[in-house]
Amino acid sequence: MHAPVLTIIPLLLGSFLAVMAGWTRKSLVYPIGVLALILSSTFSVQLVMQVLSEGTMTYDLGGWSPPWGIVFIVDTFSAFMIALLIIGALATFVTCRDEIMAHFEEKSAAFVSLILLTLAGHVGIVSTGDLFNLYVLIEVAALTGYALLGLGNSRAVLSSLNYLCIGSVGASLYLLGVGYLYMLTGSLNMTDLTSVLQTFPPNASLRAAIVVLFLGLWVKMALFPFHGWLPGAYSNSSATTATLLAPMTTKVMAYVVIRLLTTVFPGGLAIPEALPEIAVVLATLAIFAGSAMAFRQTNIRRMLAYIVVAEVGYMVGGAFIGNRMAMTGAMLHILADAAMTLTLFLAVCNIARKRGSLELSNLQGLFKSMPFTMAAFVLGAMSMIGVPPLFGFFSKWYLLTGALQAEQYPFMVALIVSSLVNVVLFFRFFEVAFFEKPENNPGLLEVRWIRVAPVALVALLLIAAGLSTGLIVDKIIAGVIPASLI
Amino acid sequence: MLDIFAQFTAKYNYWAYIVIMMVGLFAMIAKRNLIKKMIGLSIFQTSIMLFYVAIGAKKGATIPILLSGTDPHHIDATMYVNPLPHVLMLTAIVVGVATLGVALALILRIYEKHGTLEEDEIISQIRSS
Repeated sequence: MHAPVLTIIPLLLGSFLAVMAGWTRKSLVYPIGVLALILSSTFSVQLVMQVLSEGTMTYDLGGWSPPWGIVFIVDTFSAFMIALLIIGALATFVTCRDEIMAHFEEKSAAFVSLILLTLAGHVGIVSTGDLFNLYVLIEVAALTGYALLGLGNSRAVLSSLNYLCIGSVGASLYLLGVGYLYMLTGSLNMTDLTSVLQTFPPNASLRAAIVVLFLGLWVKMALFPFHGWLPGAYSNSSATTATLLAPMTTKVMAYVVIRLLTTVFPGGLAIPEALPEIAVVLATLAIFAGSAMAFRQTNIRRMLAYIVVAEVGYMVGGAFIGNRMAMTGAMLHILADAAMTLTLFLAVCNIARKRGSLELSNLQGLFKSMPFTMAAFVLGAMSMIGVPPLFGFFSKWYLLTGALQAEQYPFMVALIVSSLVNVVLFFRFFEVAFFEKPENNPGLLEVRWIRVAPVALVALLLIAAGLSTGLIVDKIIAGVIPASLI
Repeated sequence: MLDIFAQFTAKYNYWAYIVIMMVGLFAMIAKRNLIKKMIGLSIFQTSIMLFYVAIGAKKGATIPILLSGTDPHHIDATMYVNPLPHVLMLTAIVVGVATLGVALALILRIYEKHGTLEEDEIISQIRSS
């Protein structure tokens, strides 16, 4: 009954309690965080079960019915995504226990609290059915993100401030778009807005509203050429923050774009003709640029950050190509990319724990010394490249088929080239880690099992999800895409 | 020519918000001092708040509190300004204040580390280290 909000409430309460525990009993901070995340993930799994059996759930916050009140709308896809976000954050939280508690010393209570809050913001973005509420939750997720990303090496604060400037402009542009839409239709509720737009004659203001709205979201999700903030913010921050946010932020914003395209503007309703074309061009450029810049990096985490930039292009391109196949691919890729980015960053987090620096020159003999972490990393990398039967292959396959149907050849070329570049990128790292011997051989130096287990489980999830792609498409994605989209 | 002028005066509130918005954006892009950048960000956000407040206004309307003696079942909506955009902007103001707070906290950390607020000097310090 209350399942859509129950996923968020433990996180909000947990973040308050964590701060209070920080003042009185420090030893309680970490257990509070774990408890909140476990409760929240239990509720999210329950939510998935409920939505799968009963269909889309609507929850009126405070009992105010839409379109006046704020509603949470959870369909099969968003329920699945919520579960993935929360369980991913739990995996990060368990893996990075030492970093969270030891590295930040007196700040650990605030750090735990911020982690829970930013997760609550992201889950809220996925659940909400109200455009203005979406803006507020975007800012909740972003503001806590700025604070988290500010903790890190000497450059972290400046990169975080840079992200804050760009991110706030993006959010403001989104708000402006919402303002125009409200002015034209008098509604902020997504379902209500669609019914008004059905009979609304397209005019210049409506076109401006939609363009500004999507422009703001693109800035937020780091689509090329608005990606400037992402690599700095994710590679200078602490390993914990990068592992937490890299699988969340860009994927959640891509989901917002897909949600708007499938529910508020279904079948290209009211969308200006040029917008999808521009979006696909930008997506193609994002894939090329991200891959090219990833190629120049010698630091593994920085390289992954640029790969995230390229992956944003996959999702935006798929969403805007405008056929069922590509949309399915984009939605699959959101799930796949979240899972494989999580695998890679968790593995990198473990490597950083043992080796310190993540420069390529410092990573010789990793396969010998950290076999389990590296095995998980290889699975994540293979999925990123697109090797069957891993999840990344199937989402790419749907995207390629969709692009072929729509005759978007440049986008297809970009997809294939980026896969090839990923092969080179990852094998350059594997070559160093497998063949080169370190000067003083450390022997087996694997991290503790509690740090290996999460990354191993997520990596196995990539295989399991890949093998059940057909099931995921039928049960979770097919019902969400509007029937008008062929 | 007169046409453009008429359009300008008829919708002067929108022109005003666009001008303010561009002033803010210019400050964010062109100024190299971090505090000035933040002032630009604030101006940028404020322009959007003004836009929202403007769309709630109506000519000859009063504040959205029922006049005495009005039948609550027959309310003439044109007599009252629309309060919803104003309420939305209360939230947006809170968000703006929080953004500025986080930004100033980050700037404080930068100042402690580098002893300056000029972006060029900070970048050259980072490059040389």
